[in-house]
Amino acid sequence: MNADAMPTVLTIEDDETTAREIVAELERSGFSVEWVADGRQGLIRAVSGDFDAITLDRMLPRLDGLTIVTVMRNAGIATPVLMISALSDVDERVRGLRAGGDDYMTKPFASEELSARLEVLMRRRNGAPRQTAVLAVADLEIDLISRSVRRAGAEVRLMPTEFKLLEFMMRNSGQVLTRTMIFEAIWGYHFDPGTNLIDVHLGRLRKKVDTPGLPVLIHTVRGSGYALRAPE
Amino acid sequence: MRLSELWRTTPFRLTLVNGAVFAGGVMALLGLIYWQTAGYMACQMDIIVVAEAHALVQGDPQDLPDRVRRAVAVDERAVEYYGLFSPQGAWIAGNVRRLPARAQIDGEPREFRQEGFQPGARALVQRLPDGELLFVGHDAKVLTGLRAIMVRALMISGAAIIVLGLVAAAVLSFAPLRRIETLREASREALKGKLGVRLPVSRRADEIDMLAGVANAMMDETERLLWEVKSVGDNVAHDLRTPLTRLRAQLYRVQQEARLDGADREMIDRALAETDGLLARFRALLRIGEIERRDRQACFGAVRLQTVLEHVRELHEPSAEDRGVTLETDIAADAPEVSADATLLFEAVSNLVDNALKFTPAGGAVRLRLLNRPAGPRIEVVDDGPGVPEGEREAVLKRFYRSQRTRTEPGSGLGLSIVTAIARLHHFRLALEDARPGLRVALDCWPRGLEA
Repeated sequence: MNADAMPTVLTIEDDETTAREIVAELERSGFSVEWVADGRQGLIRAVSGDFDAITLDRMLPRLDGLTIVTVMRNAGIATPVLMISALSDVDERVRGLRAGGDDYMTKPFASEELSARLEVLMRRRNGAPRQTAVLAVADLEIDLISRSVRRAGAEVRLMPTEFKLLEFMMRNSGQVLTRTMIFEAIWGYHFDPGTNLIDVHLGRLRKKVDTPGLPVLIHTVRGSGYALRAPE
Repeated sequence: MRLSELWRTTPFRLTLVNGAVFAGGVMALLGLIYWQTAGYMACQMDIIVVAEAHALVQGDPQDLPDRVRRAVAVDERAVEYYGLFSPQGAWIAGNVRRLPARAQIDGEPREFRQEGFQPGARALVQRLPDGELLFVGHDAKVLTGLRAIMVRALMISGAAIIVLGLVAAAVLSFAPLRRIETLREASREALKGKLGVRLPVSRRADEIDMLAGVANAMMDETERLLWEVKSVGDNVAHDLRTPLTRLRAQLYRVQQEARLDGADREMIDRALAETDGLLARFRALLRIGEIERRDRQACFGAVRLQTVLEHVRELHEPSAEDRGVTLETDIAADAPEVSADATLLFEAVSNLVDNALKFTPAGGAVRLRLLNRPAGPRIEVVDDGPGVPEGEREAVLKRFYRSQRTRTEPGSGLGLSIVTAIARLHHFRLALEDARPGLRVALDCWPRGLEA
């Protein structure tokens, strides 16, 4: 897993159309993708450990997605796994995550959601575990213990929800975060909250963090979601 | 199994009716035997009485009183009665001291009722050639004894029939009742929405099995239809959703990659937003189906409603503020936990608050309340909006229904349907009430009884 080269992703997916879409989107986002249509073949490739991340269909001929991830984890392969399924029921999600999946998506999905989630997963896996009490991006600093936020040295007062939101974005700074990812991370529920609730939350946070005159840190990624990143 | 259920069963009743008919038969039989015997014995007594009288009259009329006295002395069983009276009716000899009043003096044996004699006794009075009157009677002691035996037999057998009948009825109804109980248990499961439940059918092929078989066939059919509907719904939604997703992916790619300016860019953005709206509607539809089909209550746990409502407030407060609407909460801290699916409850309340916010004009307020009712906790979402006319309240809970005055608001028209589906899954009651002004939506978080 060399950090300089293109990150490689193994896609285990039996439906050719879906697989082509996944491959196209991931390549567009700068991944190198290997596609395997068969569960058993997929398991062999997955256990080789040559990949930075794996997208895994839940329903596969011959070998079930749940089995693959269980076998992988038992073999000590820690490669992040994003499970993709047509079954959106909560129990299915729980089962997928319990078997060792790192994230769970239901078909059909917006393609940018896939790459955004994969990036977050890989970052979580590769980056050293953050045990620091302070997160900082450019001149924005948050103290996880005193739960205080400073922007350019001045204190920013945040509501608890806003703080959680900011912490999540700081932990994943530089990544595109979709509205669904934000909703799942902050509220912990898995469904479509609809309307523009998340946008409103982001808008408030932005008003407090990106005060006029300072460089913009919270960016709207058109068509996808949001990203918090330091100015270039 | 209650006793009242036992005596209401068909076998119990049948056995009792059977017992009553049998008891009636026994009574009729004994009565017939008694009647026949009494007739026969009356005949016999008549023969005896006539023969006795005849024997006494034979011989010298002078010795008649002696013969009468001898006859009395000889009768050790004390069933024979004799009396010899003067033509004027004065006693001469015998153990009968007085001639019965209104006795017909024709030598014909008749039933003879007089104190000291058993009912059914037979006697004759005969005028002798010299004018004296001879009374010969035969008491019906044997008949009385027989009658006593019959009554006793009737009583004992009656009691035995009643006791045995009750026992037999109870025993006979116990087994069917136990089978009914297992059937009821199975149907209760089925009523709760569990699929694959079938009623047990034994090898006896009796009437209970026949009914169970019919019920099972109905369940098979219902389940088949259910799966058919499910697969049709899934296929339609899936078939339409997949190309929609591809369309969206292409639009997205154009948006991201094509170098577009001003108006074109805006058009692509709008098309993308429309597609997102469509996809959201499909997701909502599939979601309702998913909730309705869910293997019920599989992922229920103890849910603290205070937390759920607090989360909902956190989620919606900023957008309420943006609309100029106050979101007030009034949460009873002592409301107990309920057995529910936390995510679904959150989704339901979130949808209700979302609706309420949409229909409340700026400057108004939406109140999210948790009340502790005696039966359980109650969640209320009250708004200041136009409310829903009484006639429309049923309809707004249906899919896609949108009240005339709300058609301009964005949304899929599926929010309340999702709430309805969630409430139904939990057996909670969802009610729309007039809050004067505005609408109050109440979710009673206690299961309505599921009566078998």
